[in-house]
Amino acid sequence: MTAVAPASPDCSAIVMRGITKRFPGVVALDGVSLEVKPGECHAICGENGAGKSTLMKILSGVDRPDAGTIEVHGSPVAFAGTGDAERAGVAIIHQELALVEDLPVAANVFLGRELRTRLGLLDDRRMEAECHRLLRSLECDIDPRARTGSLRIGDQQLVEIAKALALEASIVVMDEPTSALTEAESARLERTIAGLRARGTTIVYISHKMDEVFRLADRITVLRDGRHVATVHRSDTDQRQVTAWMVGRDLADGELAGGRTPGARVLEIRGLTLPWPDHPRGHRIADVSLDLHAGEIVGIAGLMGAGRTELLETIFGAAEPNWTGEIRLDGRPVRFAHPAEARAAGIALVAEDRKRLGLFADLDVAANVSLCALGDARRAGLLSRSREDALVAGPIRDTGVKAPGPRAAITGLSGGNQQKCIIGRWLLTRPRILLLDDPTRGIDVGAKAELHRLIDRLCRQGMAVLLTSSELPELLTLADRIIVLAEGRRTAEFSRAEATEQQIMEAATGYAPT
Amino acid sequence: MADAPPPQPKPGAIPRPAGRLLRPGGLLRSGEWALLGAILAAVALATLVDSNHSYWFRPLESLRDIARNTALLGIFALGAAVVIIAGGIDLAAGSMIALSGTVCATTMLALAPEAMTAFRPVGPVVVAAGCAASLLTGFLVGTLHAWLITAVRLPPFIATLATLVGLRSLARALCENATAAFTPTKSALINVADPLFKAIRDNVWIPVAVFAVLAVVTWMLLTRTVLGRHVHALGGNEQAARLAGIRTDAVKWFAYCFGAMTAALAGLFYVANESVAAPVNQGRGHELNAIAAAVVGGCSLTGGVGTIPGTVLGAIFLRVVIDAVSKVIKTGADVYEGLIVGIVVVFAVTFAQVGQLASGGRRLLPGALGVCAIPTLATFTGAVVAMMSGRLAGAAAGIMALLLLSGLRVWESRSARAVARSAP
Repeated sequence: MTAVAPASPDCSAIVMRGITKRFPGVVALDGVSLEVKPGECHAICGENGAGKSTLMKILSGVDRPDAGTIEVHGSPVAFAGTGDAERAGVAIIHQELALVEDLPVAANVFLGRELRTRLGLLDDRRMEAECHRLLRSLECDIDPRARTGSLRIGDQQLVEIAKALALEASIVVMDEPTSALTEAESARLERTIAGLRARGTTIVYISHKMDEVFRLADRITVLRDGRHVATVHRSDTDQRQVTAWMVGRDLADGELAGGRTPGARVLEIRGLTLPWPDHPRGHRIADVSLDLHAGEIVGIAGLMGAGRTELLETIFGAAEPNWTGEIRLDGRPVRFAHPAEARAAGIALVAEDRKRLGLFADLDVAANVSLCALGDARRAGLLSRSREDALVAGPIRDTGVKAPGPRAAITGLSGGNQQKCIIGRWLLTRPRILLLDDPTRGIDVGAKAELHRLIDRLCRQGMAVLLTSSELPELLTLADRIIVLAEGRRTAEFSRAEATEQQIMEAATGYAPT
Repeated sequence: MADAPPPQPKPGAIPRPAGRLLRPGGLLRSGEWALLGAILAAVALATLVDSNHSYWFRPLESLRDIARNTALLGIFALGAAVVIIAGGIDLAAGSMIALSGTVCATTMLALAPEAMTAFRPVGPVVVAAGCAASLLTGFLVGTLHAWLITAVRLPPFIATLATLVGLRSLARALCENATAAFTPTKSALINVADPLFKAIRDNVWIPVAVFAVLAVVTWMLLTRTVLGRHVHALGGNEQAARLAGIRTDAVKWFAYCFGAMTAALAGLFYVANESVAAPVNQGRGHELNAIAAAVVGGCSLTGGVGTIPGTVLGAIFLRVVIDAVSKVIKTGADVYEGLIVGIVVVFAVTFAQVGQLASGGRRLLPGALGVCAIPTLATFTGAVVAMMSGRLAGAAAGIMALLLLSGLRVWESRSARAVARSAP
């Protein structure tokens, strides 16, 4: 697809007027208007449920509005599907990955627009070359022939971005493109965006991350509860103001870690190595050692694929059992063959990908929370609704879950509240060690701050917390110590006082010995 | 980011029940009430249309037939439902029925060869041994399934496809070997004439009572026990279940054993009902009826979703429709049984999606596929009706279907255009 040139330079790239969209039981958008000038980078900010994604789905033809009008490059449009939008020059990078896992990367990038030879057969060579070129422009070396499902989430997100770039659309909508990317990958994406803008592409950028928004955007539109709050030039506002608009109140998220006193050593890891057969690197993690004390938060920093998740999974007995090294719990060597054993030993893991590894969409809130402690919800051997409700009331209150009730559908909750439910599930097992794998990914600012306070409170109650995060500020806010992994090896450890983003990034990208 | 904004809970809001697993108050959900209504409607319609009005004049006899068939299907449909809710599939139930019957008859033949060959009573101890051997076989087959699926890591479809084919052959070999060893001639049948089995055959309420008790027990198990909750969790999200510390392999072991053992139990009733263990044909293809009953009753083949009351109603509905059609057309129901089950499954699942179809702007007959589907469906309808009720009726039904579907197509196109126009 070739770029669609703006009809005339003075007409707006996008004009959406009075867009209203209702879903059963909720008004997702209530008369929202948006105007994006040609060639600008326009950021849309708002908490989860503010309507950002819905607005973009309407713009890109995924959903249809109940009311309102849309103009693209000055001509009114009514998209019946994404194909219509793509023909009008609008491409969207979805936040939720929409890739076919069993197809190779190149096939995904050209899905539905496959290049063909003169005989009408698939021209794999050309597609692979083109795909390679696109991925190179993102400065990543993903093999176009690799099975998409075998890639890490961060790489999959880059493939998704390459797919949108392949359309060469005049308007590119990016819905939280960096939610699964490391800082280095995000920086590459920012360079790509700069390249697109140099060619005159209009960018609509949705993000929670204020730093990114303020680096990239010319103008910022804030939505809250399906309504338009403000549209301002970047120079006329600051992060604090935008955050306040998003949450509707002032937020104070200072440092949380001060004044904690670590207790006894509870977890001791020596020379942990998890092999990775059939991979050039040979290991997922290699020779990693660390100590964790009660009442302490240790942060694990690292790029995607550095082995953060694998480290936590190995401790929890959820990884392949062929690891070597030593894990000591209270001085006793342990080797969990199943998460059930780790759970019984007082370890909890809040897994990385909430939807895939944490939530039970078919179960209600109470059943999601009570799952690990169902034995306490029984009366005379049978599950009792009232006991279960009483059991989950504690963690629901403690973690601050906002839900219509314990029997509400978990899928109706926002991402932050879902994550609180999963933390609450584990609190019921009375863990002494809490493993948190990127717990605030894809969660909005307000809920993120609440989760930070919750994690800090749990730590102060004596829990030992091992925390990974794809956002360095989060580690710097929460952790007492930060351990950096690069390609499965431990490359540095910083105390909270000495750590800076710069140092951590250097350790995460290089191989400097500790 | 949520796709749709979550409803904003107001402080002090009344808890709104929305969980799909357990709903307070009431045994049945809306879809299941609809199913109950459909059962009553099918009975009422058949009473009117059937020229003998046998439901009206001989209600007990009809009830007995339907009850027997429903119980025989329902017993292992419960097992199928548990496996499906746990996120698996058991294609081997029909072969398990054959194997179970054969094992029971073989055991009795081995313990009391003279009595068995002379059609004399073999005594309750021998019967109990035969039944126990059958249920044990069910346990072993369930264990084999669980092992193939969790340890060898075969997909459930493949594992149970292998046993679907293999177990029936095994049952036949067992039957021929046993008859060769204990009777004068090798045979692919073993007659079972013990009075205990005859009593079960003559008293239809025994399988019905067993079905009822088993349904209540299974229902309690799924909704009120930790194991049942783990079954739902496993089917809903296996990886999350494992990371929550649920021994998913053990839960699967239970589910497949439950599936195989209910089929084994059903196999005993098949033998009683037909007074013979016939490994070649007994229960052949019936696993699909059980899966159909579960699906009609609201179980989702992706796992995690489904109820026992729904499955029971699904089994009743299937048997009622089959019986009603056979009453109306007065030929053997077995000829059209598969056709009826197929149509019922399509209608039941489509019916469950009617809301989505209407609200999502989705079309039933879109584009070129829709155009080609119209004559396909009309021809199919015409052919089936012609064979059931004569050529004239068939032609009429075919033309009627053609007109109705064409009308639907035109209406859909018009409303799609209207939607496109209303959007600017």
